Amino acid sequence: MKKIASLLLSLMLVISLLGGCTPTPSTPSVNPSENSGITEKLSVYASFYPMYDFALKVGGDKIEIANMVPAGTEPHDWEPTASDITNLEKADVFIYNGADMEHWVDKVLESLQNKDLIAAEASQGLTLLEGHHDEEEDENAEEEEEHHDPHVWLSPIKAKREMENIKNAFIQADADNKDYYEANYEKYAAEFDKLDKEFKDTLSVLPNKDIIVAHQAFGYLCADYGLNQIPIEGLSPDSEPDPARMAEIIKFAKEHNVKIIFFEELVSPKVAETIANTIGAKTDMLNPIEGLSDEQLAAGDDYFSAMRQNLQSLKAALQ
Amino acid sequence: MAIFEYDFMRRAFIVGILLAIIIPCIGIIVVLKRLSMIGDALSHTSLAGVAAGLIMGINPILGAIAACIAAALGIEAIRKRIPKYSEMSIAIIMSAGVGLAGVLSGFVKNAANFNSFLFGSIVAISDFEMILVACISCAVILAFILLYKELFYIALDERSARLAGIPVKTVNFIFTILTAVTVSVAARTVGALIISSLMVVPVACAMEFGKSYKQTVLYSICFAVFFTVVGLFLAYYARLKPGGTIVLIGVFCLVLILFAKKIMAKILLTMNKL
Repeated sequence: MKKIASLLLSLMLVISLLGGCTPTPSTPSVNPSENSGITEKLSVYASFYPMYDFALKVGGDKIEIANMVPAGTEPHDWEPTASDITNLEKADVFIYNGADMEHWVDKVLESLQNKDLIAAEASQGLTLLEGHHDEEEDENAEEEEEHHDPHVWLSPIKAKREMENIKNAFIQADADNKDYYEANYEKYAAEFDKLDKEFKDTLSVLPNKDIIVAHQAFGYLCADYGLNQIPIEGLSPDSEPDPARMAEIIKFAKEHNVKIIFFEELVSPKVAETIANTIGAKTDMLNPIEGLSDEQLAAGDDYFSAMRQNLQSLKAALQ
Repeated sequence: MAIFEYDFMRRAFIVGILLAIIIPCIGIIVVLKRLSMIGDALSHTSLAGVAAGLIMGINPILGAIAACIAAALGIEAIRKRIPKYSEMSIAIIMSAGVGLAGVLSGFVKNAANFNSFLFGSIVAISDFEMILVACISCAVILAFILLYKELFYIALDERSARLAGIPVKTVNFIFTILTAVTVSVAARTVGALIISSLMVVPVACAMEFGKSYKQTVLYSICFAVFFTVVGLFLAYYARLKPGGTIVLIGVFCLVLILFAKKIMAKILLTMNKL
């Protein structure tokens, strides 16, 4: 008995030490790596919110998932911390958007020791739009040869394809539950089609096609539904506005009678408000769904509800 | 002119010129007191105020002003204890402010909200901010004119100012508060970069020409207005970021002035030899 007790005690000590060493990610979600050994659920890390949401919907209760970018944080400039990398070492599946969204992915994947990790690029196989080139981005383009518009998930049809890629990654990692993942995917694939139809039906009858947005995030959405986006900023949202660009946008808004200037939740609305005040327009939020805040998550919002809100905002702006 | 067609550019010029008038006034005294980094220190500390304001549910701008006043008084207090190394007080307060901001920002639930108070831009100024800047400008100009002699004395030599019967403590207090309020509001409105550079660069340029205190003050205001106006024009027509443009023009002018002076001195020297 004594032996067993002391064994148990030392085991507990080791476990607690290990637990103490395991860095918890700064996300509100559960840390999958801690449970992976016991529950045999797939341990999944998603690079930011849409990836997290899609993976959660496909994986259901067969996976333990964590979102790497904390709620309410702008993902463009985010970089993983040392504890995020440690977590990836223990994960089974890592899901990222790709298409130049996560500039840190290549470096991190190269440095990982975890040979069993399945890294799934959700945008794989999709036709990508070219990133728009202004002077600043041309400088960056010299470093990275390709420059794509990463905001693939804002087109429901492309988002469906992303979810399919995620599903395939899950099946590769956990073939036993293939039917479960397939069934979930089928269910949400229908949801994506429904959403796509709603967008088509609503937007095709509206007279205006021009939207002024905070940053160039809506290229895929606009391409799908025949809209035209005029971004205040380029592909990355936060930099100081340049006055010549603002003047052009004001001129455009006046000529095309734009009534609503869109801003984003994770970016300061100051510039959008300034432009709106100048031309006597209103501002409204158009969510690029790069991350939801804690409040939105608590209220049960997800990709679909955020997209439907976007549709309402677009409808009001284009009438 | 096309540039004045737009409301936001008119605002940028109004607010920019107002700040270019008052900030060098504060700047010259700050420079003479060997506290040129105070603009930087205060704008960093005001971030802690913004975070605290958001956490406690009070207006973040009020929080920023309160934090700035506390920091400025803190700098004054430390400076008095170690007068020989007065710039050390700035380093201490700045690190305290940045540290506090870092810790507090972890408790701010909505990071987006935080961001919108952190960064100002001279081309995106709201009505409220414009009125605020106008009020502060009046207060600073008034105080600077009324306390002109007192401030001059204190900036040059605090001890003899005290001997001359100037209420050093009171004047210092008023000046510190004005500095804190100006920096906290202006940094929110046009960005910290413009503030901390307008405090020092125009004064540095003016010191190369000014033969008296009064001349230096007037020249530094002229330089600051010149940098701001040229910077805004250049930013608009050359499609540049306005904040950085204004600062770079200032530094470029300073380098040019120093260079020209050196050449002039050399020419004079060789002419004398001949």
